[in-house]
Amino acid sequence: MQRADDTLSRAKDGDQTAFADLVREHQAMVFSIAHYFSRDRATAEDLAQEVFIHLYQNLAAIESPAHLKFWLRRVTGHRCIDHARKHRVKTVSVEDAPEPVATADFRDSLMTEALRRIVATLPEKPRLVVMLRYQEDLDPSEIADLLDMPLNTVKSHLRRSLVILREKVTRSLGEIRV
Amino acid sequence: MNRFDEELKLALRREEPSPDFTDRVMARVAELQKQEKPREKTGWLRRLAEFFQPPQMKWATAGAMAVLLVIAGFGVHHRRESERMRLAEIAEGERAKEQVMLAMRIASAKLNAAQKKIRETAGHEGGSK
Repeated sequence: MQRADDTLSRAKDGDQTAFADLVREHQAMVFSIAHYFSRDRATAEDLAQEVFIHLYQNLAAIESPAHLKFWLRRVTGHRCIDHARKHRVKTVSVEDAPEPVATADFRDSLMTEALRRIVATLPEKPRLVVMLRYQEDLDPSEIADLLDMPLNTVKSHLRRSLVILREKVTRSLGEIRV
Repeated sequence: MNRFDEELKLALRREEPSPDFTDRVMARVAELQKQEKPREKTGWLRRLAEFFQPPQMKWATAGAMAVLLVIAGFGVHHRRESERMRLAEIAEGERAKEQVMLAMRIASAKLNAAQKKIRETAGHEGGSK
């Protein structure tokens, strides 16, 4: 924690190496949110890069390592939603996707791929809520705080999204037990 | 957390971006810094522009308003003084005119009296002849 504090304050003082360390430390988090949201690596890398440039320009406003994490998640979430609204990301229709050949050997990879694909078909805000819950392991109250959303809305997004996900995964993977 | 939650967590686990991601971000940062340097050179221009922006602009406006108020005050005072002097001159002229008229009335009265006396004297002399 002390080291993280030190890195942050050095970066705020203009130390480029310290800023690069901050990028390295948080790039997986920022990139993954953008990647699972957009389902496109190149788009996700562009979005993540924009987030870090924005961070560089606003470093003075960051108060602590915890605040930095909160700030990055919030800015990434908002950038993803803005990008999706501007580009109207083509959502994958689960019904149109080819039925996978479900054998037990491929079960894990099929399940993972199906889940990622179906998460990408959720509407923007519920999608972000699901990602922050399961990728970032945040509590509903933390998500509500991060997205400026009422707690009950977050809980409702989670409940409904899980019902949709279960239903679509079951349909997609056929006889494999979910 | 049930099995489905675990599957979801596994599917959405964090992934790393391309290995050169940090380098690309730092290259963009370096570009940003390059763009900022020429801006520093024209610092005086920026400061001048900033002077005309709040809150400095408020002080400049207040100063200009104060100067304008002083000038306007002097103007009003000067105009009032000129008007007062003009009226005083008119009054003085009126007074002089009245005095002349009075002198003329007195002179006229005196002339009338003298004429009357002459006529009376002439009448007496004519009667005694």
